Amino acid sequence: MLQALIDGILLGGVYGVIATGLSLVFGVLGVVNFAHAEFLMLGMYVAWFAWRWLGLDPLLGSVLSFVIVFAVGYVVQRTLIERVLKAPPAAQVFLTVGLLIAIENAALMVFGSEFRSVSVPYQVQGYRLGDIFIGAPYLYAFAAAVILAAALWLFLERSWTGRAIRAVAQDAMAATLVGVDTKRTYGLAFGLGVALTAFGGAVILPYITVSPTVGGQFVVLMFTVVVLGGLGSVAGALAGGIMVGVVQSMSTLIFPIQLQNLCLFVIFIAVLALRPQGLIKGA
Amino acid sequence: MRTLFTPSRAALLIFFVAAALLPFFVDPRGHLLRVAAMVLLFAAMAQSWNIVGGLANQISLGHAGFFGLGAYTSTLLFLKLGISPWIGMFAGAVVAGGAAVLLSIPTFRLKGHYFALATLAFAEVLRVIANSWADFTGGPVGLSIPFMGSQPAYFAFRAVSSYYWVILGLLAAVCLAFHLLASGALGYRLRAVRENENAAEVAGVNTFRVKLIASVISAALTAICGTVFAQFTFFFDPDSIFSLAGLSVRMAMIAIVGGLGTLGGPILGALFLIPLEETANAFLSSKAAGLSQFVFGVILIAAILIQPRGLMAWWPKPRRRRAEASRPAVAAPAAKGA
Amino acid sequence: MTSAPLDRRRAAGVMLAAGAVAFSLFAEPVRAAEDVVVGVIQPLSGPNAQFGIGAQRGTELAAEMINAAGGIKSLGGAKIKLVAADVPTPNTAASTTQRLISQNGVSAVVGAFVSSTTLAASEVTERAQIPLVTFAFADQITGRGYDYIFQVSPKGTVFGEAQFDYATAIAKKAGEKIDKVAILYEDTAYGTAQAKGLRDAAKKAGVEVVLDEAYPLGITDVSPLVNKLRASGAQIAFPVSYLNDSLLIIRALRQQQIDIPVIGGAAGYIIPDFKKGLGDYAEGVLSVAAASGDLIPELAAKYKEKYGSFITHEAIIHAAALDAVAQAMEKAKSSDPQKVRDALATLDTCTGLAKGVPGGCIKFDKTGLNTSAFPVFVQWRGEEPVTVYPPQAAKADPIWRGQTVK
Repeated sequence: MLQALIDGILLGGVYGVIATGLSLVFGVLGVVNFAHAEFLMLGMYVAWFAWRWLGLDPLLGSVLSFVIVFAVGYVVQRTLIERVLKAPPAAQVFLTVGLLIAIENAALMVFGSEFRSVSVPYQVQGYRLGDIFIGAPYLYAFAAAVILAAALWLFLERSWTGRAIRAVAQDAMAATLVGVDTKRTYGLAFGLGVALTAFGGAVILPYITVSPTVGGQFVVLMFTVVVLGGLGSVAGALAGGIMVGVVQSMSTLIFPIQLQNLCLFVIFIAVLALRPQGLIKGA
Repeated sequence: MRTLFTPSRAALLIFFVAAALLPFFVDPRGHLLRVAAMVLLFAAMAQSWNIVGGLANQISLGHAGFFGLGAYTSTLLFLKLGISPWIGMFAGAVVAGGAAVLLSIPTFRLKGHYFALATLAFAEVLRVIANSWADFTGGPVGLSIPFMGSQPAYFAFRAVSSYYWVILGLLAAVCLAFHLLASGALGYRLRAVRENENAAEVAGVNTFRVKLIASVISAALTAICGTVFAQFTFFFDPDSIFSLAGLSVRMAMIAIVGGLGTLGGPILGALFLIPLEETANAFLSSKAAGLSQFVFGVILIAAILIQPRGLMAWWPKPRRRRAEASRPAVAAPAAKGA
Repeated sequence: MTSAPLDRRRAAGVMLAAGAVAFSLFAEPVRAAEDVVVGVIQPLSGPNAQFGIGAQRGTELAAEMINAAGGIKSLGGAKIKLVAADVPTPNTAASTTQRLISQNGVSAVVGAFVSSTTLAASEVTERAQIPLVTFAFADQITGRGYDYIFQVSPKGTVFGEAQFDYATAIAKKAGEKIDKVAILYEDTAYGTAQAKGLRDAAKKAGVEVVLDEAYPLGITDVSPLVNKLRASGAQIAFPVSYLNDSLLIIRALRQQQIDIPVIGGAAGYIIPDFKKGLGDYAEGVLSVAAASGDLIPELAAKYKEKYGSFITHEAIIHAAALDAVAQAMEKAKSSDPQKVRDALATLDTCTGLAKGVPGGCIKFDKTGLNTSAFPVFVQWRGEEPVTVYPPQAAKADPIWRGQTVK
C-alpha cells in the first residue's frame, strides 16, 4: 500500500514535469500541441547521444536536452505555429498532428528504428527501508524533476521574461501595451514548454528506452495529466502528474495491471465532467 | 435554395455520377478501385464526423470508438449468432447511438479542447476493454471476417466493385443526412449553438437535446462505416479499429483539410489525402523507412499553412455567404423551435 | 477582386488534377519482363519498425544469395525482384497487399512480422489466390483452414509450451525441481498466444502458476509487476515482452536482488539492443527463439558483414520463407501464383536457407504449418545468443544458475 503510493509519487513527479511543458504551451499560446510528446523523444535522443559520445549521465545530459530542444522549439514556433495562432483551433490542432507525423518519421530516418538504452550503474540499485523498496533511477529522476520544477517556479515568478510570459498568458493585448514583445514571448514560451518536456524525457532515459515512436506512449498520458491539473496551469500539471502516477500504481493493488490505464481514463472523464477546470484551482 | 443547380451542387452531382461510373473504366479486381473505395469510405466517415465536428463545432477525437463499436457489433453478431452483417450493421448503429447518449451525459457541458480530450479518452477506454475482455471480443489478436466466397446476403462479395458500390451508396446516404441536417431546423439550431451557446439557450434552444441528436446521428453513421470497413478489409484488431492516430484523428483531419462544416469538404479532403498517402507509400516506402510518412506529414503541414480553412475555401460558392448570413439569425430559428 | 474567384477555381482545378495524376500512377504496371516478382510486406515505420526492418533485411539478403547463385534455374535463371511495402498497422495491410498483387503482379508475398498485420494481409491473399509465406505465429494464422497461407515457424502456443518445457527440463537436469512459476506478458496478440502455451504446458506438467499477469504495452513502471512476482514465490519467471519491458523487468529484479531465473519469450530478449541496454546483466539470460544465427553460419556471416550486427531470428526465418518461395518456383517451373502455391503445399526441402529453421527442413502440412520446425533456447554468451537447447540443435551446453548442465 505505502509501497504503491511511493512508487506512484516517484513516477508521477516525472509525469508532472513532462506535462508541465504542454500545459505552459496551452496556457500561453492557447494551442493544444499534439506533437509535444515528440519533443520528449528528441530530448531523450539528445541525452542518449550525450551519454554515448560524451559519456554524460542522462541526469546531466538532461541540461543539454533542455537547451537544444529549447532552440528547436523556438524555431518551430516562429516558423510554423506562429502562422496559425489566429487560424481556427481545428487548423492549429492538425498542424501539430502533421508536425507529430513529420518529426516521428524524420527521427526514424535519422536515428534508425533501434531501441536505444543507456547503461548506468544505478539502474540496478535501490534503497530498502524496512518493507519499502525504492528503485534508484526512479528516485533520481524524481529528484531532478523536483529541482527543475522549483527552477521553473522561480523563473516564472522572479525573472522579467517569466513575468512577461505570465502576462501574455493572462492578456496578450495588455502585455503588448506595457511593452512586452508578444511574438518573441510566444516563441520563448513554446521553446520553454518543449524544453521542459525534453528534460523530463532525458531523466527517464535510465528506465525508458528511446525509439522514434516512444512519444506515442506518452501522448494520452500527458493530456490526462494536464486535464486533471487544469489546462494551462503549471502547478496543476505537477499535481496532476503525481495523481496520475498514484492512480496507475494504486489501481494495480485492486485490478489487474492490464487495466491500470482504464482506471485512469475513467477518472479522467469523471473529472472532466464534474470539474472541467481541473482538480487543482489557481496558479 | 432558390436555384436547384448551384455550381457546388452541379459539382457534387458530377462527382457522384463519375464515381458511380468508375468501376466500368478500371480493372475491377485492381488496386485503383480499392483505393477509390477507401477514398469514398473515408469521405463517408469524415462526413459523419462533420455532423458533430462541423455543424456543432464539437471537435471529437474519439469517433474511432463509434467506428469500432460498429465493427465489433456486426462481426460478433455474425461470428457468434450467424446474423448477417447487413442486420448487424444497424445493430452496431444502435449500440453506437446508445454509447453516444452515455458519453454525452458527462461531456455535454464541455467545450473545445476539453470535449476533444474527453472523447479521446472514451475511445481509449473502449480499446482497453476490447483488448482485455478477450473471451468476448477475441482480445488483442483481433477478429477476421471468414472467407466464404460470394454471399451477398451476408455482405460478402468476390468483386471489389460490389463493395465499392455499397460504399458509394453509404457516402451518398451520409451526405444526404448531412445536407438535411444542415439545412433543416436542427441545422439552424446547431449553428446557433455553435455561434453562441448561451444566447441560443436564452432564446429557447434546448442545447443539450440539439447536441445529443446530432451526436447520436453522427455516432450511428460512423458505426455503419465501421461495419462496412470490417467487411471490406476482412480483419481488424482493437489497436487499429480504436486507433487515435489511424482513425479518430484521420476522420477529423479529412474534414478539416477539406473544409470544416461544408458538404463538399470531407469529399475533397478524402480525395486529396487518401491517394496522397497511398502514392507516398507506393513510391517511397521501399526507399527509406519512414520517408513516405514523413512526406505525408510535411504535406499536411503545408496544406494547413497554405489554407487553414480547408480546400473548400477555394471553392467558388454562394454557400459561404448563406452560412454567414445565418449568423445573425440566431433568434429566428430558435423562436421557431421553442 | 474580380479575378479572385478565377484564381480559386484554378487552384481547385490544380488540386483535382494533382489527385488525378496520383490516381493514374497506380494504373501503370511496373513488371519487368523476365524477373519474378515477390512482394514483401513489413512494418517499416511505427512501433514495430525495428523488427520489420530486420525481417526485410533477411529477405533482401536471401534474394541476393538466390540471384547470385543463378536465380530460378528452371525459369532460365530468372532473377527474384522484391517489391517492399510498408504496413505499419493492420488497417493498411489489406490495401497495400492488394496493391502488390494487382500493380506489381507478385507471384507470392512474404512477410509481416506482426501477427495482426499478417492476419489482415492473409485475408486479401486468400481471396486473390496468392500464396503468403510468413513468420508471424499467432495460432489463428493457420487455424482458419486457408489454402494460400504458409507459416515457416511453429505456432505461438508451441513457443509458449517450449519456453516452459525446455526451462523445466534444463532445471531438472541441474537438479532443481520446479513447482511454482510466474507468467508475465504484454497484452498483444503475440503475448497472449504465447502466455496461453505457457499456461497449458504448466497445467500439463502439474506445476502451479502462482502469478499470471498481463500488462499494457508501453508500461512505464514495472514495480507493481515485480512486487507481485516477489510476493508470489515463483521459482522461474517467464516474461513475454518487447524490449523496453524486458529491460525494465530484468533491471527491477536486479535492483531488488531477486535472483530467480528469467526465461525470455523471444522478441525483446534476443535482439542486439538487449545486450546494449543491459550490458553484463544480459549474460546468461535464456530465451526461446524461432531460429539462431549459429544454426546457419554462412547467412549469419553475410548479414553481419552487411549490417554490422548479429542476425536476428526474424531475419533468418524470413530469409528461409523467401527461399521456400524460390524453391517452389524452381519446382513448379513457373511463377504463376497458383502453381507456386501448389508447389509450396507439396514442398519438402532440407537444403538452401531452410537450414536456418531449427529442424533444418521446410515441409508444410494441410493447414500450411511447417511441421518439421521447432523452437530453440538461446542463451546470452558475450555479444551474441548461442543455441543451447534442445540437444539436437544445441551448439553449447546451457548454464543454469551458474552451473553448466550436460
